[in-house]
Amino acid sequence: MRPARLTLPTLLVLTAVVTILPFAAMVLVAFAPPSGQTFPDALNPSRWTWQNFSNVLSSSDIPRWTVNSLIYSLVSVLFILLFAAMAGYAFAKKRFPGRELMFWAFLATLMVPFQATLIPSYILVSKLGWVDGYWGLVVPTLANSQAVFLMRQFISQLPDELFEAAEIDGASEWRTFSTIVLPLVRPALATLGIFVFLWHWNDFLWPLVIGQSAQMQTLTVGLASLQSEAVPINQVMAGATITVIPSLLVFGLLQRYLTDSIAMTGLKA
Amino acid sequence: MTEGGRAAPPGGESQATGPAARAARRDLSPWRRSLAGLLFVAPMLVLFVIFRFVPVIGAFLLSLTDYRLSGQWTFIAFDNYSRLLEDKLFHESLLVTLTYTVIFVPLTVLLSLGTALLLQQVVWSRGFFRGVFFLPYVTSIVLAAVIWKWIYNAEDGLLNGLLGLVSLGPFDFLGEAGTVLSSIAVTSAWKGFGYSMLILLAGLQAVPRSYLEAAMIDGAGIWQRFRYVTLPQLRPVLFFVLVIETIGAFQVFDAMYVMTAGGPVRASYSLVYLLYDSGFKFFDFGYASAIGLVLFLIVLIVSLIQRRLVGRDD
Repeated sequence: MRPARLTLPTLLVLTAVVTILPFAAMVLVAFAPPSGQTFPDALNPSRWTWQNFSNVLSSSDIPRWTVNSLIYSLVSVLFILLFAAMAGYAFAKKRFPGRELMFWAFLATLMVPFQATLIPSYILVSKLGWVDGYWGLVVPTLANSQAVFLMRQFISQLPDELFEAAEIDGASEWRTFSTIVLPLVRPALATLGIFVFLWHWNDFLWPLVIGQSAQMQTLTVGLASLQSEAVPINQVMAGATITVIPSLLVFGLLQRYLTDSIAMTGLKA
Repeated sequence: MTEGGRAAPPGGESQATGPAARAARRDLSPWRRSLAGLLFVAPMLVLFVIFRFVPVIGAFLLSLTDYRLSGQWTFIAFDNYSRLLEDKLFHESLLVTLTYTVIFVPLTVLLSLGTALLLQQVVWSRGFFRGVFFLPYVTSIVLAAVIWKWIYNAEDGLLNGLLGLVSLGPFDFLGEAGTVLSSIAVTSAWKGFGYSMLILLAGLQAVPRSYLEAAMIDGAGIWQRFRYVTLPQLRPVLFFVLVIETIGAFQVFDAMYVMTAGGPVRASYSLVYLLYDSGFKFFDFGYASAIGLVLFLIVLIVSLIQRRLVGRDD
């Protein structure tokens, strides 16, 4: 007990410093003068400069990649939330033929790793003429079984009396869904929204395969291509710093929410 | 993954009598009620049928053909699979993936268990430290790979710079076959341990305090309490984490693509990397699909072992 009182906090702080170190190094190198030595110049605040940021912004397609990443992430969030809430509602509160079969089929697809179906998905998208375009990027990723499960779980906790009352009052099916279900599962929608955003913002393999021209790359793919070319390390780190900003925003604003929901649902980004 | 299976069947009997009776009063035919359910499922169902079910079946069918970029193919039965058995690249990549998994899984589980225990023990600023450990998790593995590639750099990397201060190195961490997989595993573990840490922390907090207090009264030290009280209670959670991380490790690709391009001399050329190259470098779609099915089988076996060992309730 006695030694633990001191060693444990020390260990904790040490681990935290090591965890943060790569981020700190990234930012420092991004601000270091492009011509000089990476270290010790990066540690000298008087020599810090925005030069690497302006260089990388002008020499690469980062603005375009950012737009692509935003489209990929936000459009997916919107449609996955809507379709998953609808499907979750039907699975939780409606009776229709084939419900159990469909639900088990959804469940089964969770077992298949995405990479295992990468090739057929790609061929399918190319047959549709969607390669190197937003449709090919976004639409196939909307089929998200985790989202359906989460919504079904939350909606099945809503009391049935609510829906009986709505029916007696003569509310239409859609009205029941949009004015009763959606507002009541807002916390679940928020949680799911954060995860879907991060899944897509950080996704690599699918955008890599679909975004073949430089114009259609997302930030992750662009960043990977940036560092594989002969771009100076300061500029690569400046680019890296730019890509991490939205994740940090999500993290800063919603950290509690995010960490609580992982502990609760086991969702994995 | 577990939650979906655990969810109670919705509605139940109360739904059958109550609303059904009222619906009959309001002249709503069962047919119309079913239709509403189907319409709500329809958008997601259509997406699923086209973009999940078709590719899953397609993967199997493709693996029985020699489908090429041109779209021409012939049925070759299990030739792709017998080719796999003889392909040196496949054997190497399987070995690389296994080795990586053997390094990565203990590393990440120990790291996340260690930090979870630290957080549990140290009450002070817990939320802050939890946030710090979780931070890398919200970033992409590509970002982690880009940063760590520079950290490992033999010429001006951070790690060699630090080691240089104590007159060690320089080491070419990513350029040596002996260190490349461990170096990548460290990067992936750094990026991802926050997730398992949170799961384990929730598990730790579910261990009844009274058990620990009873053990303490009986004179159990910190290690004994961990070994004989916490660990047995944590077992199912630990197992979940182990399986999730193992499945993730078998799918390793992004970090290798960015950090080493599979090198040096294929020392970090994983199964998914071979799948990617077979498909998008050699356009050998049938063969790549067969590799995908092998990956699926591995993941399936790991999941089934979990089911068998932990039982249905976990």
